[in-house]
Amino acid sequence: MTTTAPPAITGSRLNTAAIKAIIGRDLRAVRRSKAVVIPMMLVPTLLMVALPLVVGYAARRAGQAGGRIQFLDSLPSALADPIANLPQEEQLLTLVLGYLLAPLFLIVPLMVSAVLAADAFAGEKERRTMETLLHLPVSDRDLFVAKFLTGFIPAVSVSWIGFGAFAIVANGVSWGVVDGLLIPNALWVVVIFWVAPAVATLGLGIMVRVSARCRTTQEANQLGGAVILPLIFVAVGQSTGLLLVDVPLALGIGAAIWVVAVALVARGAKMFTRDRVAGNS
Amino acid sequence: MIDAAPPGGPCISTHALSRSFDGRVAVDGLDLDVQPGEVLALLGPNGAGKTTTVRMLNGVLRPDRGHAVVLGLDPSVDGDEVRRLTGVLTETAGLDDRLTARENLEYTARMRGYAPREARTRVNHQLEQFAMLDVADSRTVGFSTGQRKRVALARALLHDPQVLFLDEPTSGLDPAATREVTDLIGMLARERGRTVILATHFLGEAGRVADRMAVLDHGRLRAIGRPADLAAELWDGISADIDLGGPVAHTVLELIGSVDGVLRQEARATGATIAVRDRATMARVLATLTGRGIDVFGATMREASMEDIYFALESNFAAERS
Repeated sequence: MTTTAPPAITGSRLNTAAIKAIIGRDLRAVRRSKAVVIPMMLVPTLLMVALPLVVGYAARRAGQAGGRIQFLDSLPSALADPIANLPQEEQLLTLVLGYLLAPLFLIVPLMVSAVLAADAFAGEKERRTMETLLHLPVSDRDLFVAKFLTGFIPAVSVSWIGFGAFAIVANGVSWGVVDGLLIPNALWVVVIFWVAPAVATLGLGIMVRVSARCRTTQEANQLGGAVILPLIFVAVGQSTGLLLVDVPLALGIGAAIWVVAVALVARGAKMFTRDRVAGNS
Repeated sequence: MIDAAPPGGPCISTHALSRSFDGRVAVDGLDLDVQPGEVLALLGPNGAGKTTTVRMLNGVLRPDRGHAVVLGLDPSVDGDEVRRLTGVLTETAGLDDRLTARENLEYTARMRGYAPREARTRVNHQLEQFAMLDVADSRTVGFSTGQRKRVALARALLHDPQVLFLDEPTSGLDPAATREVTDLIGMLARERGRTVILATHFLGEAGRVADRMAVLDHGRLRAIGRPADLAAELWDGISADIDLGGPVAHTVLELIGSVDGVLRQEARATGATIAVRDRATMARVLATLTGRGIDVFGATMREASMEDIYFALESNFAAERS
């Protein structure tokens, strides 16, 4: 074995090799952890496949039975009018699959990012592997970026793959009733590509802060759950029609979530120093 | 070989290095110089400040005051560059049990910046050197403490570091593995010029391999030096046991005491234990005894072990505190 010098550290640029290695290591380890993978797969499957299948089928049956949807009267006209103008048998399917389920879907990026962030930060402390990581020539910033992406990439990927599955189910259920493809519509595009990444970032921002105070993944999940649960209630409230939004409002809500999420992540990054992490472990 | 250390100077140097946590002093005014190729045993009870010292030297913790220089670099400023040149074995092996031994090493090599092919070559070499190739592709979750330590040590040496910080490298190892690790540490220092800071409770192993010992007590460096020098400060002379085949008569003890250079003498079951100023005195004692027709069955000069010195120092510290 030759005694060549380890590769030099490259100035202020991101050390992408180290970041990729940390992400690769964390994701490979997560894939082998049933306790993490099962809830991460189960919830999206329920929300994106089982629920639209059941609800969509029921809506299709009810729509074909005819009758006016009283619920439309309570919606803002900007949202209700386009639906009311559709043929009667399409209205309920469009309302349920096209609008009501969209906010509920945001639980997916929130939950996936929270679970992975708890594993990446508190889990590292719990497994007593953090100390080893801190003794490597990877800057605090690069460590944080790697840990952030370990949560962000899967959260967004699962959301987008889940949306693909949802689109297949929703269009399948509405096939023959709705003229053309029901999904994607404008609201869903905004939710998937604008709001979902923002929500994933928000989940990470919260869990980074929470994990810094916890020693175990379970503790982080419990504390994180206490913070994230109200957000889920808001999403559920939305899905039951309490807070229905149209596209411009969804864009605005997404922007607001981005602002809060980026602020939380930036604060978390500032607090993520070796000295602080080692001092707490 | 990389040599970032200033030629001729110490490769590790600290001045008044201090760190507290929530008002509790962990390291207090540490002044330390370690020469290239030296093995320094960092000794002290739990909470003495050994791990905090290693963390500050490797740029993981920042000192509250004072400063350190490692291989010519300030760890609190050039932490990444210092960590590039050092290797650390933490007290817990720090392996991710969801990964195999090979994966644990390969990811570390990649994080250290090695290209995939170079990383694989280095990992294979290390696994072979530490006799872990047969279990390389097993997850480390079922590994024994000894196996875990070996994987962790292989990982610490992956990049052939100039300075090694080893925190309890032999805890949990069986005697044969312990001997292997201490031999390896000795080889790294003597043959390859590596500097080793060995934080340990295992005084026997430390005694076998360390050039100097540094004793920390409540965060303060209370003693540092070669064991022989510290022993000379603690006790007068060199101890020796003389086997006379049975209890010694008072007149014989007096005879021993009359030899120039004998500092103390006392009877024991098979002869006498004495303290002499130097080795020549010992020769005169034996000549005196045999000259008087007294049978001498054996004589052993006893240098104080690191363990003897450590406990003597600890007892002095305890006496000072009380």
